[in-house]
Amino acid sequence: MSFWEYVGTRHAQLLTDTYQHASAVFQCMVLATLLGVFIGVATYRSEWAGNLATTSTATILTIPSLALIGLLIPIVGLGVPPTVIALTLYGLLPVVRNCIVGLRGVDPALVDAARGIGMSRGAQLFRVELPLAWPPILTGIRVATQMLMGIAAIAAFASGPGLGNEIFRGIASLGSANSLNQVLSGTLGIAILALLFDAAYVLIGRLTISRGIRA
Amino acid sequence: MSPRDGSSPGETGPRHRHPSDHEALAFRDGVEMEERELAAGEEPAPSAPPGARRISWQKWTFMPAFLVVALLLTWLWFRGARLDSIAHQAVDNGKVWLALQQHIQLTAISTFFVLIIAIPLGIALTRGKLSRATPVAMAFANLGQAVPALGLLVLLVIWLGIGARSAIVGMVIYAVLPVLANTIAGLRGIDPTLTEAARGIGMSASGVLTKVELPLAVPLILAGVRTALVLNVGTATLATFGGGGGLGDLISAGIVTQRMPVLILGSVLTVALALLVEWLASLAELLLRPRGLEVGE
Repeated sequence: MSFWEYVGTRHAQLLTDTYQHASAVFQCMVLATLLGVFIGVATYRSEWAGNLATTSTATILTIPSLALIGLLIPIVGLGVPPTVIALTLYGLLPVVRNCIVGLRGVDPALVDAARGIGMSRGAQLFRVELPLAWPPILTGIRVATQMLMGIAAIAAFASGPGLGNEIFRGIASLGSANSLNQVLSGTLGIAILALLFDAAYVLIGRLTISRGIRA
Repeated sequence: MSPRDGSSPGETGPRHRHPSDHEALAFRDGVEMEERELAAGEEPAPSAPPGARRISWQKWTFMPAFLVVALLLTWLWFRGARLDSIAHQAVDNGKVWLALQQHIQLTAISTFFVLIIAIPLGIALTRGKLSRATPVAMAFANLGQAVPALGLLVLLVIWLGIGARSAIVGMVIYAVLPVLANTIAGLRGIDPTLTEAARGIGMSASGVLTKVELPLAVPLILAGVRTALVLNVGTATLATFGGGGGLGDLISAGIVTQRMPVLILGSVLTVALALLVEWLASLAELLLRPRGLEVGE
């Protein structure tokens, strides 16, 4: 069976897997972004806390994904829970790091001016600092998403959802006629998803980056 | 990015020696202008003042102490855990030791090949006519990063056959880009007045490269090496899916047979190895940095 024939006969399964892969990565990324920006906002003012946040999230990223999932299985079992926890944890670092760097890079004179015209602390943060720090944060989200695409494939080994299942089905039937098709469809599917997400982020950047700081 | 002022030297100073710094470099790889600017804003961080050294000394000893305690606890727990015949089969006869050795071998061999491919390629891509091909090569490489490591590894297994060889090829392909990007960024980031001065005092092109450019690019290249090592320790866990051995064998055996002690032992060993490798690499980065760059700019 050729690759295209394979895709033609299995398109229902492939579409389900693709949808689940994209939705898992997307949801975990939303969670990681909210958490990451929150951690960044909470720690960027203190040198010590900011460094601690970056170091601890960097340490998580050093841990191989299969090992982290392996450590999560005894605690939360197989399936969706370890996948979601692992993806969210891995997604944190780029967001936290770029959020802290971005917020620290905001010109203090601008914050001062905001305070000068009577903005509250919250207004300063949401209307001045975060919009200015948004481009690096968005870059962090982009980098994290691409990473999560690959990690989500590995999570399928712990019965997680997504296109990784297609790859593992291919591994299980290694040597059979369809194994190459299965692995290839899973791999290409993930690569295409990664590129589509990347394109979406470019678009989001166009729409959400404040007009004042657009190049 | 807005110019940093006032507090920024103190803020970037100690961070420069931070074990996590290579991540920032890794994050710059896949992206374009905006992040390059971000990177540029971060790079000229002055090296740590003597005071910061003492702080980082404690940081250096924390990680090994933590690892020793964690491994000891795991070992004690594992000895006390009740193993049935299936679990025994997965760990007896020195299989744990063998997996650890295989893992280290996979990481070492692939990192070696990554270095001998990526660094010369990086040098070539910043020289003369070839430098025009750099954006194309990098765009192509970034496109390739969208391919998941697992899929790449398994495709190579189907193509080249089961075994450690396919795993190593996959790991090398996967880790070449970060080192390549760091080498190119390091060589490009050198102040052109320095290379001009070197030319001016009569150095040959190769003299400028080996005596000026490479030493100045060492910190970034070393950061790339560390990234490659850490990436490879992680990717090596996937070698098990292509019969390549390594600690992934223990983890996958633990998951497939539902034997938690085996799974936890494999995972803890993998995590410990990854953290140890990262720690050693950042130590090496600190020691191998050229002395001339130690003094603040």
